[in-house]
Amino acid sequence: MALRPDEQIEVVETKAPRAPVIEPGHTFATVTDKISSIVLTRPTSNGWLVGFGFSFLLTMVLLYAISYLFIRGVGIWGVNIPVGWGFAIVNFVWWIGIGHAGTLISAILLLLRQSWRNSINRFAEAMTLFAVACAGMFPVLHLGRPWLAYWLFPYPNTMNYWPQFRSPLVWDVFAVSTYATTSLLFWFVGLIPDLATLRDRSHNRALQMIYGILAMGWRGSARHWSRYETAYLLLAGLATPLVLSVHTVVSFDFAIGIVPGWHTTIFPPYFVAGAIYSGFAMVLMLAIPIRKFYGLEDFITERHLQNSAKVMLATGLIVAYGYGIEAFMGWYGGNRSDAFLLWNRLHGPYRAVYFSLLACNIFIPQVLWIRKLRSNPAWLFVISGVILVGMWLERFVIVVVSLQRDFLNSSWGMYYPTRWDWMTYIGTIGFFLACMFLFVRILPMISIFEMRQLLPQAEVKPE
Amino acid sequence: MKHTGNYGMMAEFDSPTTLVAAARQTYEAGYKRIDAYSPFPIEELAEAIGFHHNSVPLVVLIGGLLGCASGYLLQWWISTVSYPINVGGRPYHSWPAFIVVTFEMTILFSVLAAVFGMLALNGLPMPYHPVFNVPRFAFATRDRFFLMIFSSDPKYRGSETKAFLESLNPRSISEVPQ
Amino acid sequence: MSSPGVVNLDLSAPPIVRLMERRSLIIGVIFAVIAIVGAFLRTDEFFHAYLLGFMLWLGVALGSMAILMIRHLTGGGWGVVIRRLQGAAMRTLPLLALLFVPIPFGRRFLYIWARPLDSIPDAHLRQHLAEITRSYLSVQGFIIRAVIYFAIWIGLSFFLSKWSAQHDQPPMRDTSARAKALSGPGLVLYAFTISFAAIDWVMSIDPSWISTIYGLIILIGEVLSAMCFAVVIERILVDYKPMSELLKPDFVHDHGKWMLTFLMLWAYFSFSQWLIIWAGNLPEEITWYIRRLYGGWGSIGLMLVVFHFVVPFVLLLSRPFKRNIRKLVWLATGLMIMRFVDLFWIIEPNFSPTIRVTWLDIVVPVAMGGLWLAYFFHNLASMPLLPAFDPYVREVWEPTHSEAGA
Repeated sequence: MALRPDEQIEVVETKAPRAPVIEPGHTFATVTDKISSIVLTRPTSNGWLVGFGFSFLLTMVLLYAISYLFIRGVGIWGVNIPVGWGFAIVNFVWWIGIGHAGTLISAILLLLRQSWRNSINRFAEAMTLFAVACAGMFPVLHLGRPWLAYWLFPYPNTMNYWPQFRSPLVWDVFAVSTYATTSLLFWFVGLIPDLATLRDRSHNRALQMIYGILAMGWRGSARHWSRYETAYLLLAGLATPLVLSVHTVVSFDFAIGIVPGWHTTIFPPYFVAGAIYSGFAMVLMLAIPIRKFYGLEDFITERHLQNSAKVMLATGLIVAYGYGIEAFMGWYGGNRSDAFLLWNRLHGPYRAVYFSLLACNIFIPQVLWIRKLRSNPAWLFVISGVILVGMWLERFVIVVVSLQRDFLNSSWGMYYPTRWDWMTYIGTIGFFLACMFLFVRILPMISIFEMRQLLPQAEVKPE
Repeated sequence: MKHTGNYGMMAEFDSPTTLVAAARQTYEAGYKRIDAYSPFPIEELAEAIGFHHNSVPLVVLIGGLLGCASGYLLQWWISTVSYPINVGGRPYHSWPAFIVVTFEMTILFSVLAAVFGMLALNGLPMPYHPVFNVPRFAFATRDRFFLMIFSSDPKYRGSETKAFLESLNPRSISEVPQ
Repeated sequence: MSSPGVVNLDLSAPPIVRLMERRSLIIGVIFAVIAIVGAFLRTDEFFHAYLLGFMLWLGVALGSMAILMIRHLTGGGWGVVIRRLQGAAMRTLPLLALLFVPIPFGRRFLYIWARPLDSIPDAHLRQHLAEITRSYLSVQGFIIRAVIYFAIWIGLSFFLSKWSAQHDQPPMRDTSARAKALSGPGLVLYAFTISFAAIDWVMSIDPSWISTIYGLIILIGEVLSAMCFAVVIERILVDYKPMSELLKPDFVHDHGKWMLTFLMLWAYFSFSQWLIIWAGNLPEEITWYIRRLYGGWGSIGLMLVVFHFVVPFVLLLSRPFKRNIRKLVWLATGLMIMRFVDLFWIIEPNFSPTIRVTWLDIVVPVAMGGLWLAYFFHNLASMPLLPAFDPYVREVWEPTHSEAGA
């Protein structure tokens, strides 16, 4: 159908109004001052002190549990034969998965030109860093002789031995350490211009020195910005496949072995989706209180919450796809071990865990289809908590339920976590939160220069 | 303080648009040794001051190729030459198993090249720089935009250059001591 | 805010579309006649080739529908400009449903589970088949499930194209909320149905082998082939109005980026499957790869690594390459051929331990393609190339932020 040349189209503004990424009325100066004042001039609140104090206490619990572990060995944990991988690996996978949302937000959304990410990428990256630190502790503690952890790296040594590169556990060493390095550098590179802002905004000589040294003499030269932008985009381009590879390698830790419940080809994408799922849940659990207590509703708007909820919904459905296909293949494939595993999940001693995980990961989050709930911070906070619990239970089922029924009935067993398991796990949560509290106190939790870029004034108007 | 002449002259602007326009005019007026400072990246600015050659991608490419080659060769040499052991009957040269670490090493080296290459090309860290002697320059990381003409520019003549900068309608002009 | 230049543009499909329709029909009919002769001469080879051709063209149609739904959810001018091409591809689903009909009739030539159990020499396999044909792989189940899949696909495509057609007439209305509400669940339905369809129609050729990522490999292959197909068609149309006015390098760039994304996902899924099965080395799994790597089939596997991943990956990293439709189209064509080779490598080794390419493997897919393309071009000509009364069409007229991303 052709339009007649004389026909006039009346364009009506029909697009549904979208919540803005940054509330109107801000200037370069107000954005700068509002964010930097949280660090520089705002007095340390009692709420912060209580929160930090409590999480620091939990960090002490962690140190206590680790010290006792060093004295007595991994026998204090609930691990046994056949369940040789207990809480340590469950928590490792859980934490590293949480970290993935930070990289996803900062890298993938940057490449996709989703500028709404600019106000949440900084603290999401910090979250990644601290989550990876928590994750990295567990396999090392699980080694039995953690002080020899450096044996995992290939270095010339007098024992004349080398790592065995056909093992996914060695791949994991490379993947996780590359991931930790990249996350740290990506985060730090993003911080440099803001550290320069803090250097120039603070009136305290000691702070000027500290932020000045960290800013490395950044002066915002156009040449520097040009190389900086290129490097930052390239880092984002490199971090994107990296973050996918890291959880893929984590899934290989299981899938390369031939244990029923582990050896299945869907694991790589399903692990990655699960990681992003739990990571976004953690982002929301942090962002919702932070924006409330620090009055950052202008920068972390409803749109951020909505979009994060949509990502959770989508990745949750991929996880559901994984459960569905895995269960179907267990039945269809005709492999007795796989069929038994499915039966054991549904009817075995840990069936309550399996049903709870289905409820937490698949059924309850479906309420996110409802737009009203997606835009309600309190509800989102609760649902995110449910998802975090669900994803932890998922890893518990993968690790424990697969191992506890070995091929021979004579080597069947049960796994019960001890109080040391719980103390180590809760301790890492405390450590994570303590790091987050310190971060929001001493560094700008929102990228200031990227927020300036979001303002309409930042655009160069044609002459 | 003894000074043997200025490092350059600096003009302050209010908005990215005025800065880019001023930078273009300055470059077209024949000043080639100039720089501009802004609180956030402005795409048009680098081109306005005549900066075209960005070698960061090349550095990253070299880093990535190095990481890729060294990652694979490391595993190949260890598993077939230095320390060959039989693992479940798999070949010594198990290339499918080597791809993961090769990939991670490629990323690691590229990332290191990107970060340290960018810093090195920018000449950072640089604890002292003459521009910091201008008190108003502290606003370059907040909401002000600066244009700088270096005294090493062959066209640089104190009063003439000042008059030229004034013609650009800046908020203020400061001389930058060495 | 509308630009009068575009408003005055004739949005109907150029005459080349009708010409292509006629040419495709001629090719399709000629090859179909040869194929029918082949069906009588070599019935088993005919059905093997038939399944191959069917999966290939079904992939383009379903992949187009998936990309259309992705665009409804994410927005973006890149999708608006090819929306009607993909709509036309999607509306060929009734033809594909018709083309499916011979497969249940030829089941004995394709599926071991459809043959009498007594004819199976391997006792272990016979026992497994006795169980599985009772519960899942029964002939009725196979047909009922196929009817369900096609009902879902045709239903989705019906509503998507109906709502799109409403945008050809005034008044200008924003129906994006409705399209979103369908596309979210629609993509979930697509993922599940295509996975089970892939199990029913292809994976069950070897009923003792399973791989849980299989559905995703087939799915991503379909979406990749659909993106490549859209690039090929937009290349044909860009020489004529209105596409010459509408297709901007930015959109082509985005299409190239999607190709790269899907390509990397295909490689990621395929490599994951290979590595996990290779490392596990279990007899019930590794046989699938042994079949496909020995007896000459390995050379096709190598070809896939090089031309379905390495070469296109390196080319697509280049920004100027992605922005130039005249260059990108060659890669898109090559990748469509590689999609055919990939499906060939997945399907055909089931039937022959040593490499075998029959003339029917070429003739039957071309015959189906000719008929399918004729229907596609017919659909394309029947609607304007752009829905003029959709407010999102503005994204084609005035694209925002062009220069970012790598």
